[in-house]
Amino acid sequence: MWKYLLEKEFKQFFRDPGLPRMALMFPVLMMLVFPFAVSMEIRNINLAVVDGSRSLESSRLIEECISSGYFRLVEVCDSPEEAMRLMDDNDADAIITIGPDFAADVATGAGFPVGIKVNTVNGTRGSIGAQYLQACIRMYLQERNAGAAGMDSVTGTAASSAPVIDVSEKYYFNAYLDYKLFMIPALIVIGITMITAFLPALNIVSEKETGTIEQINVTPVSKTAFIICKMIPYWAISFFVLTACLLIAWAVFGYTCRGNLLWLYLYTTLDIIVMAGLGLLISNYSSNAQQAMFVIWFFAVIFMLMSGIFTPIASMPDWAQAITYFNPMRYYADAMRAVYLKGSSPLEIWYDAAGLAAIGIAMVSWAIASYRKSSD
Amino acid sequence: MTAIEIKHISKRYGKIRALDDISLKVDAGEIFGLIGPDGAGKTTLFRIMTTLMLPDSGSGTVCGLDIVKDYAGLRRIIGYMPGRFSLYQDLSVKENMDYFATLFGTTVRENYGTIKEIYSQIEPFADRRAGKLSGGMKQKLALCCALVHKPSVLFLDEPTTGVDAVSRKDFWNMLFRIKASGVTIFVSTPYMDEAARCDRLALIRDGSIIGTGTPSEIVSGFPFRLLSVRGSRMYRLLKELRNIPGVISCFSFGDSHHVTYDPAVTDRVRILARLSDAGFGDCTAMDIMPCIEDCFMWLSGRRDVPTAGQDGLRA
Repeated sequence: MWKYLLEKEFKQFFRDPGLPRMALMFPVLMMLVFPFAVSMEIRNINLAVVDGSRSLESSRLIEECISSGYFRLVEVCDSPEEAMRLMDDNDADAIITIGPDFAADVATGAGFPVGIKVNTVNGTRGSIGAQYLQACIRMYLQERNAGAAGMDSVTGTAASSAPVIDVSEKYYFNAYLDYKLFMIPALIVIGITMITAFLPALNIVSEKETGTIEQINVTPVSKTAFIICKMIPYWAISFFVLTACLLIAWAVFGYTCRGNLLWLYLYTTLDIIVMAGLGLLISNYSSNAQQAMFVIWFFAVIFMLMSGIFTPIASMPDWAQAITYFNPMRYYADAMRAVYLKGSSPLEIWYDAAGLAAIGIAMVSWAIASYRKSSD
Repeated sequence: MTAIEIKHISKRYGKIRALDDISLKVDAGEIFGLIGPDGAGKTTLFRIMTTLMLPDSGSGTVCGLDIVKDYAGLRRIIGYMPGRFSLYQDLSVKENMDYFATLFGTTVRENYGTIKEIYSQIEPFADRRAGKLSGGMKQKLALCCALVHKPSVLFLDEPTTGVDAVSRKDFWNMLFRIKASGVTIFVSTPYMDEAARCDRLALIRDGSIIGTGTPSEIVSGFPFRLLSVRGSRMYRLLKELRNIPGVISCFSFGDSHHVTYDPAVTDRVRILARLSDAGFGDCTAMDIMPCIEDCFMWLSGRRDVPTAGQDGLRA
């Protein structure tokens, strides 16, 4: 009987005009389009320069900024006012002002008369632009110090008199801060959650709408068997989507999972259990597809925005961080990123498994309890 | 032998009383009709008897099995065809049949004898999706699916609503054949002409049973006489008729008015004389046999409930 229940679900799935195509297109779209679309990398920042020094040193600094590839030199202005006007007209996103004594001050180590102004109408673009500019200036300083040290050793004099503060950064796990690499596990998380929670919920509600569920309820088939058979095809699809996404990431971008692939599947299974409970819960409390869609939309938005996928949880206010503890996507996204980028094993990220399991148990028991009640 | 027995069943939806102290007894092998207007509580009663819903109070058995405690066993021996077509529209005729047969742990071939007569009519379309069938075909398919596991009791909730007159007649002929094979049939309908075809009836109104019995028992229980009156100015005539002493009620019924009068107070000749005095000299009046609908109207009115009129009933 189970076999026949399953066969029917698969038949209906493949007979649907849209679903099979969607299941195929989903991973492709997710892997080939979204990583570029959701990128937070900022390029082509319009830079205006006010060069009061007009020295070799100052031109080297400007050179450093432009050659980073993030900035586009708009104009070298004579006065700060002129540069400000450019920013007011939206022609410049950032202004770097170099003081008249720049060359001399840098040579003696007396100071570093450089100012940065950034247009922060778009907050992300502004703050990231400012970080890039600072990074460029640091790079310039490092190169200069290295050059000076080399010269010193040639002439044989004592080491440079000015104390040099060297800040060196090394990025682990994603050395080039590649945003695409960062987003790929997160996009998989979003895709799997949509497929496993929301599609079965809509499917069950549509059986309610057409009245077919009544017809099933008067047969000796247990409701549990019926519901599980309804969900199995979507579980199969989500594992297919996971595998397809990993393959595309490898074939197109050359990204591979740093950790054991098994853990990716393990955490996905945990997430599927949570989402199955949620999907059933939604279908229990909605009597038509429209209601279900609205509830789904509500949860989908909260899950995504409060999961740390797009914005780091650590930078949220405390009360918002507290909410994220109830968000299964938070744990799932964290685990997927940890395994994929860092190569973590469940020993290190046990708390993600614990979080998913706790939410899963709560969700499934609530769903079963409310399902029993609605079945009266 | 009793096939269905329910005692004092009540059900409320929040503040709305859907069923109020319903008791019924259906004998094995009969066609039992539940007659009532839309919203009378017919579907609620069906859902309780088919174990889809729990009653607030009361108890019942179907084929000796309790409708609450033995729900699992009961589901094996009943067939239910809801009022709305609720099979899988994206599965073919054959797939729907196979599916429901499998759910009952049987096969179409095993019970082919039971459904043969009906199924043979839709078999030429076995590979067509159920959603693409005509209304009459859908109804036959639904009946086949409800019969595929040889149920002892068949529940049909308004099976002929929205079906044309010829198909309705066909359908009832099928029901008689199913009955002949020993299946008890519990059917609801808002159509009064179908009521006369049942072995026994229960009239339901606002969640209460207002009368039970065979169609002839119900008709003979009607204490008044009925007159069919025709005239030229029908609307004015209706108003005039209602003013005559001894007239209990008067409804327009097709091209005539059905006048219910108390034979102890008045009679046909006296009514015609009154009409002629009032200027309706061209009237003709004929004594007629009351039908189920007349009884239903009278029984509804007697309970002194606000009259829903005839809109809820489709003659």
